[in-house]
Amino acid sequence: MKMDIELLNWVLVIAGQILVAIGLFCDFVAAILMIRFPNFYVRLHALTIGSVGGAIIPAIGAALIAAGSPFLGNFRWFLAGGALVAALFIFILGGSGAHAIARAAYRSRTVKFKPCYINQLAEDKGEDEC
Amino acid sequence: MNFLETWVTNFLTISMFIYIASFLLYLVRLFKGPSIPDMILAIDALGFDLAAFLIILSIVFRSPILIPCAIVLSLWIYALDIYVAKYLEAKEMGE
Repeated sequence: MKMDIELLNWVLVIAGQILVAIGLFCDFVAAILMIRFPNFYVRLHALTIGSVGGAIIPAIGAALIAAGSPFLGNFRWFLAGGALVAALFIFILGGSGAHAIARAAYRSRTVKFKPCYINQLAEDKGEDEC
Repeated sequence: MNFLETWVTNFLTISMFIYIASFLLYLVRLFKGPSIPDMILAIDALGFDLAAFLIILSIVFRSPILIPCAIVLSLWIYALDIYVAKYLEAKEMGE
């Protein structure tokens, strides 16, 4: 029985570490792309990599690690639950916040369209392209 | 200190350095950003990753008090998004 629980702890810790490693990769790639991408609308893609891949997946992985670590004592359940709640909040709020800021940036014309190849929204509205 | 504890602590301690390196790269975009929405994008990514970083820190330091900080930080980042979007569209902060 003790052997089984120890094996279960190891499975949880290894699964959590794989998720945290994926999150580290996504986070570093998003940080590089945030510098390298040319304009605002392409940088939205880097933001999505950074918030979904770099924050939600490591939070779920940290919850699994915390659930499988008996040396943390009794508060590890609090830690796992809080990490899952934080992941849920980032999942809901990250996407809607990015949409709000993109819509406001387009309608207020504060960002430049360089380089611009096609702008179908302006075509539909009858405005000048690019 | 058994083997599991050493393994988990070492892994999370190494992962902290990669997080800090990517935070520094986000700060480059934050200070360099040509317009306000670019800076807001950098702050967004920085804040959400900081929330995940706080969760990892709470395992490394064995202190559960950092978990509510992560939840509240993600809510504040969303509030910043909405305020800046409102300001850009209507040129006022909303009463």
